[in-house]
Amino acid sequence: MLRSVVAIWLLSFFLAVTVMPIRAQVRGVIVGPGAERYPIAVPPLKNLGPAVEGAKFSQGIADTIVRDLDLSGWFRVIDRAAYIEDAQASGITLGAFDFSNWSTLGAEALVKGGFTVYEDNLVAEIRLFDVFQRRQVLGKRYTGRAADYRRIAHKFVDEIVLQFTGVRGIFDTRISYVSTAGGRFKEIFVAHLDGADKVQVTNNRTINLSPSWSSDGRTLLYTSFKDGSPKVYRYDLATGADTLFSARRGLNLGGSWSPDGERIAMALERNGNMDVYLVDRAGKILKRLTSNAGIDVSPSWSPSGAELVFVSNRSGGPQLYIKDIATLKTRRITYSGGYNTSPEWSSKGNKIAYSGLSDGRFNIFTIPPEGGDAQMLTSNAGDNEDPSWSPDGRYLLFSSNRTGSYGIYVMQANGENQRRLTGSSGDDTNPSWSPRLD
Amino acid sequence: MVDRWILPLYTYLLLGLVFAAGCATGMVDGSASSPQSEASRSANGGAQSAIGSGEVSPSARARSLEAFQRGQEIPSSSSSLGQSSPLKDVYFEFDRFALRPQARETLQGNAKWLKSNPGQRAEIEGHADERGTNEYNLALGARRAQAVKDYLATLGIAADRLSTISYGEELPVCKTNSEACWQRNRRAHLVIISSGPAS
Repeated sequence: MLRSVVAIWLLSFFLAVTVMPIRAQVRGVIVGPGAERYPIAVPPLKNLGPAVEGAKFSQGIADTIVRDLDLSGWFRVIDRAAYIEDAQASGITLGAFDFSNWSTLGAEALVKGGFTVYEDNLVAEIRLFDVFQRRQVLGKRYTGRAADYRRIAHKFVDEIVLQFTGVRGIFDTRISYVSTAGGRFKEIFVAHLDGADKVQVTNNRTINLSPSWSSDGRTLLYTSFKDGSPKVYRYDLATGADTLFSARRGLNLGGSWSPDGERIAMALERNGNMDVYLVDRAGKILKRLTSNAGIDVSPSWSPSGAELVFVSNRSGGPQLYIKDIATLKTRRITYSGGYNTSPEWSSKGNKIAYSGLSDGRFNIFTIPPEGGDAQMLTSNAGDNEDPSWSPDGRYLLFSSNRTGSYGIYVMQANGENQRRLTGSSGDDTNPSWSPRLD
Repeated sequence: MVDRWILPLYTYLLLGLVFAAGCATGMVDGSASSPQSEASRSANGGAQSAIGSGEVSPSARARSLEAFQRGQEIPSSSSSLGQSSPLKDVYFEFDRFALRPQARETLQGNAKWLKSNPGQRAEIEGHADERGTNEYNLALGARRAQAVKDYLATLGIAADRLSTISYGEELPVCKTNSEACWQRNRRAHLVIISSGPAS
């Protein structure tokens, strides 16, 4: 498992990208909820070299692109069964194929590409075409390990999304989460957003919770009972090194990294009472942020790093409060519902997601940081908890027991397109979305 | 001549009464507080430790985390495994750490046992039901454990004999989606730890 982790990180040293001329193309297609999806075709990539397992890359890269485009919520991928061309015979550059083979299917955009594989090296070139205007919009060339072919697909979709929306996509990212994997112990896992390349981070046969990514995506903080009482540890994804981060007497909880990576907000206990503290990267306390008799836990940073949203039960049940780190002024933002927890501040800064109890079940809500009306994103689907934002602030991970056991789900920030991501037989909870990798 | 033996006789009689009353009180407090049936209580009557007894069952000494890691049943007053412990669990309302009257009675019984066994310490575990986030429930468990410790202190148990730990919702004794099960999980559980040489 360590080797896989190291290998994934080594990929970043081998990927080389050559950018071909891109024309800024804005067709105004990315719109609000309920909009028509943009029809796009993605045939299998052409095998340009003598690859032995050609089909694996040919289909695999295309399938990954299709899955990501579908998950994005903006595209409708035209069924491959309807395609006219033979992908292995047709050209993949402008002028080498007939656009009418695609316009007749209703495609407005087209992804075509080719690859060569030699031993463990994969070179792929992928292009995005505008079918109406019959021109190339985007072209990329990737080099890497053959085993990492899916990441090439993720990177290209992120480029497509950048092209269409002005903001890079989030498909080349990872998630960390807690899984019982069908047994009784709660261990921490890391996987790609598409579930591939799953790595087990802890294997200590006890309770491990709340993994949290550093801003550079290189380390995870997590809470564990492996030493008999709840302490916070740091795990280095590149080296596999696991070190104690906070082992103060009592409960050590959480660990939310500031956007600049310099400070960590966490909750520590003093005689039964939890308060929020700022600590530095070595775990040393910098500042105590709350000091009231109630429970204060679960801090999450604003993108500016100037404020934190956290949970406090100082007025009865748990509600969300925002603390200004410099002035220590606090204001409450949730007023509907009697039990609101697990806040996460979007990187776009405009929304805070949280899990609130309503009619006996937990659902995911978002609320503006100024307070005001909460928007309910899940309903009539079991208990939905632990929201975590994508790096672009347009998607949310969350855990849900709507099918019985808990699984990790993803949805758009407006609640649309809810999909299950993890399929283990046990309970998967506490998801955390990595920053963009590389 | 009568004076010489009447005082020791009275003293022995008095002590005998005190012991008898103490035994009775210990058992009544313990059994009144935990949600267990009369039948199971009397069946295990023999296993209830009398005040002053040095024998404490292994399940009374088992930390919930250790039991969980070993794949054993998590001990609690509401299950048959936990019946034999002289220290009984106390229960809480949803999202609350206040001690209700029943809980105080139970802790008074626990305090009596601790006073009669000065060589023993106790670890107070705070637990929560599964509703809500793991982090908030860990905090709630810590608060519950502290509430128990603080109340035992008012009953005269020295703070250095009591340690606390929270397990939040992580170590439930039952897993069904019902208020009955949730109430069993909203508990503080006391584990007996020796001060002297390890047993």
